[in-house]
Amino acid sequence: MSDIRHSLLRRDALSAAKEVLYHLDIYFSSQLQSTAVPIVDKGTLELVEEFIFHVPKERGVLPKRMSSLQELQLLEIMCSYFQEQSKDAVRQVIFSALFSPQGNKADDSRMAMLGKLVSMAVAVCRVPILECAALWLQRTHAIYCVRLAKVLVDDYCSLVPGSVQTLQQIFSASPRFCCQFITAVTALFDMSSDDLIPPNDLLEMVVTWIFDDPRLTLITFLNTPISANLPVGCLDLTPLVGLVRWCVKAPLAYKRNRKPALTNGHISKLSKEEKEEEGVGDRDLLYSKLHLSILQVLMMLQVHLTEKNLFGRLGLLVFDHMVQLVEELSRLVDELNPLNATKETELSLDRLAQALQVAVASGALLCTREDLRSLCSRLPHNNLLQLVLSGPVQQQPPHSAFQPGFYPHIHTPPLGYPARPTPPAHSQHPAHPPHPPHSALPAHPVQPFLPGMAFPYRPIR
Amino acid sequence: MSAQGDCEFLVKRARELVNEDPWAAKAWLITARTLYPSDFNIQYEMYTIERNAERTASAGRLLYDMFVNFPEQPVVWREISVITAALRNDCQDKHAQFLRGLFETLPGRVQCEMLLKATEQCFNTLEKAEMLLLLLRRFPESVVQHGVNLGETLLEAESIEDQESPVNCFRKLFVCDVLPLIINNPDMRLPASLLYKYMHKAAEFYISYVTRSPTVESQLQGSQDGGSLKSPSARGSQRYVIEGLTEKSSQIVEPWERLLEILSVVGVRCEWQMDKGSRSYGEILQRMKELARYLGSFDAEAHIRYRNQVVYSVMLVFFRSAYQYVSTIQPMLFQGHSSPGAIPWILVEDLAAVYSDADIDRNKHIHKKRKLADGREKTMSSDDEEGSGKGRGRHILVNKAELPTWADMLESFRAARESWELLHSQETLENEFKRICSSWKTDSWLWLRIFLTDMIIYQGQYRKAISSLHQLASFQAPQQQVSSQGSLEHLRALIQLASCHYTLGEYRMTCEKVLEVMSGLVPQPQDLGRTAEEVSRVRTKFRKGTDLRFLPCTSKAIMPFCLQLMLACFKLRAFTDNRDDLALGHVIVLLQHDWPQGEGLFLKAVDKICQQGSFQYENFFNYITNIDMLEEFAYLRTTEGGKVQLELLPNQGMLIKHHTVTRGITKGVKEDFRLAMERQVSRCGENLHTVLHRFCINEKIILIQSLP
Repeated sequence: MSDIRHSLLRRDALSAAKEVLYHLDIYFSSQLQSTAVPIVDKGTLELVEEFIFHVPKERGVLPKRMSSLQELQLLEIMCSYFQEQSKDAVRQVIFSALFSPQGNKADDSRMAMLGKLVSMAVAVCRVPILECAALWLQRTHAIYCVRLAKVLVDDYCSLVPGSVQTLQQIFSASPRFCCQFITAVTALFDMSSDDLIPPNDLLEMVVTWIFDDPRLTLITFLNTPISANLPVGCLDLTPLVGLVRWCVKAPLAYKRNRKPALTNGHISKLSKEEKEEEGVGDRDLLYSKLHLSILQVLMMLQVHLTEKNLFGRLGLLVFDHMVQLVEELSRLVDELNPLNATKETELSLDRLAQALQVAVASGALLCTREDLRSLCSRLPHNNLLQLVLSGPVQQQPPHSAFQPGFYPHIHTPPLGYPARPTPPAHSQHPAHPPHPPHSALPAHPVQPFLPGMAFPYRPIR
Repeated sequence: MSAQGDCEFLVKRARELVNEDPWAAKAWLITARTLYPSDFNIQYEMYTIERNAERTASAGRLLYDMFVNFPEQPVVWREISVITAALRNDCQDKHAQFLRGLFETLPGRVQCEMLLKATEQCFNTLEKAEMLLLLLRRFPESVVQHGVNLGETLLEAESIEDQESPVNCFRKLFVCDVLPLIINNPDMRLPASLLYKYMHKAAEFYISYVTRSPTVESQLQGSQDGGSLKSPSARGSQRYVIEGLTEKSSQIVEPWERLLEILSVVGVRCEWQMDKGSRSYGEILQRMKELARYLGSFDAEAHIRYRNQVVYSVMLVFFRSAYQYVSTIQPMLFQGHSSPGAIPWILVEDLAAVYSDADIDRNKHIHKKRKLADGREKTMSSDDEEGSGKGRGRHILVNKAELPTWADMLESFRAARESWELLHSQETLENEFKRICSSWKTDSWLWLRIFLTDMIIYQGQYRKAISSLHQLASFQAPQQQVSSQGSLEHLRALIQLASCHYTLGEYRMTCEKVLEVMSGLVPQPQDLGRTAEEVSRVRTKFRKGTDLRFLPCTSKAIMPFCLQLMLACFKLRAFTDNRDDLALGHVIVLLQHDWPQGEGLFLKAVDKICQQGSFQYENFFNYITNIDMLEEFAYLRTTEGGKVQLELLPNQGMLIKHHTVTRGITKGVKEDFRLAMERQVSRCGENLHTVLHRFCINEKIILIQSLP
């Protein structure tokens, strides 16, 4: 290994980086011939950090820096390398060796390079890189995922108007990447502050994707073995919770966002209001559309769970996440003067009630009506929420011809996308502090949902 | 809150939202459905939103759901009946297409159930049948259960509803739509008797359909055209609708081919002697002739089977060929037979030999000879291959240029005659064929009578032909007022009658009919170019036996034929040894037509006059304007000409008797003749047709009386 290092030290930055890539290719290709799970050893990682990310190995040695042009050349080399490497396994392990955060000082430049590479892959539509990035987004701690998402959002939704089209087209090239990207952006933009409201372009793109094909949100879930242990702190399997958060909080979050504008100077107030006059109706409809799509996805999920005999056994929406969402909502309601935001509060609560009801009915959220009641006890009154919390009134014996059962999908193809080759289960757990668990309402037993037992509820057909 | 109250609240909220935010409305309803899955109104509301937005797939899913879970809801049935109505009609508007698309999204099993249940709720037989038909078409397995019943229902409905014509909506559905499904379904077991019944019904329908007469509407259209608009569009746009059906479903393409298909399927099922591959109508006849020959050698069961094969197969060949024949000679008789400007044709005796003097001794008379135009062989004769037996092997002359489809027509005529003969060649075949014909009341089919008459004429059975023509006249009586075509049709029968009487030697009857025809004609302007053409067309070669020819049924063509027929009647009488100046005079008048075709005969007549030494014909100056003839007669009076005593002026006979008393006055007679001749020469330019027409009209009585 030190031989390689010595020869690399003599080269210029770009050719050294190329040489490292070449070395990695040979190294992992040969490893994969004998073992299914190649080992990324320390020496290799060090070579990568020193010659690709230019972190000095020894104190006092000035790292060779690449010029911007050289960096661009290196990105191009990487791009074409991943494009041309035909073996998925080799590609994935090299991508991981390059870009898995190590919890050291190289991570910053690692993330910077990753951001540039993925952004470039989006621009020139390099499917293999997007697929590797999708896998990376699945295995890496959410903190890093959010960082990557931010780079892409900045590049495509903020800097150049209209460039969102490029990102939007990725939908057909790599749905897996899109799914993970949505999960990452919902984690990034959690509407906890005005800055964390999703940009309009991004929102519009996400809604278009999901509305066109709601199955998109389930791709990662459907392609992950149920038994697989997810790395600690990584993103959710689906963007559903994040999307529910968007829809539920949006009416109030935008309302809050508008408030400071009222206190601003006269001119800015007018212009701000004018702007909103145009966009507000459309944006409300976007959230409405998104919300409907989520409910539809949940209904699809029900069919899937039933077919796989998982209904009531696999909660895709974690109850704790709901607890967190309800808390956020409650805080937001408190923050706004309820009198000023009656309409918005109603809409938020309607959506929450709908999401909870459909999630429970579809088996995505495993809990009892009782759990829901305590969950929402602090929220203001809302008719629909009340109806959902108390559950349906026991009806007269159902129609004689009525057969309880699931709504069968009559012509829709079974859920799922072409199966992805199973990735080598290499697990490089990043050495970062574990994500703190949610602590509010700690003792919620996750009960399997049993129809017609705990409360008069029947699964929807 | 009651469950019903909850549901009403949820649906109400969705309704409030649907216009401003349809997504939210749907979200409400999805939620509502998870709360109250067995509430109908929630699902109906969901369906309504999707249907109003014409979203096929999602509306289909919801309809399916409602159909399965709420089969008793009247609203669902109203919806289903709207959809099935859209399936039945061929309306192309966007909503109807949406509804059809909606139906297509449903799983087959549900479509099947839906149609069956919708059928049960139908009370109108026709609608019910159309609905069941939708079912049978989509689900062949349902044919076994419902096919025959549907067929019987339709056939019953036909009699219950007292349908006069076999071309009615019930029969159409049965024959064109249901029957193919039944007989082509391999799982169907059908007894032979049923198959024959079906075949019988199908044949009756298709034949009646093809030979249906033009509707009143299109006749009006036709008469408005006045014959001046002869573009195909004007004729081709004849609309035809079977009552109770749409225009589209009233159109049947290639009916004869469809009938042939049914015949071959029935044949296979009845274990006829079939061979592989589809046969044409022409081949069938040939094969059936062979089969018929051995019919006597089969045992009872096989005999009946093959007898039926022969009768049904040959019958179809017969009706089809006869139809094709009649559609060529009488194109206006049928609806939808769009051959613009097509004229009717009449089968008559060929009178080309009328100018020949072969039957009279040739007598040389030297006079300025005219070179007769060389008759080119532009005519066609149809030689029958089997030239044996009476009436066979007769030649039919056709003008190829005027009748481009002559070959097909003669072929159809032959095939029809041969099939008829085959059907009447054995008692067992004849009885079966007669049974079928009487059940179809073929006696009342005008077009068939037209064919049969022509066939009888061809066979040379003129006595029978005459009674057939009288029968034809009785068909036409009610038709005559309807259109001008009726009167042409009337002329047609008269001409054929005349032609038949002539061949029977009944000259007086011939003449009566001819003169009746003439009184219905308007003389055409004389067309010199045309006469030249006529001359070249007429064959000059004398043939043994009599030929037939097709005469175009136009005033232009009829009049010359009538004149020839009259000439033929008078010719023999004029040239007998007994002196008959009146007949001879008529002949000379008639010989002016088509001059100089009749030059030979004229010279013969002149010879006869010379021999007689005198000639009396008081109409001479009324009707003879031919300059050659006038010259000849002027010459006859001279010494060189033989000093023939001619009495050609009215009442001249009296004058001559008077003049013999005083010799000086004969000079005055000579003067009268000379003046009359001079005056006559100045009339040479008169329209000969007008002159001859006047001759026929004015001298009608004398003409008829001068024949025995």
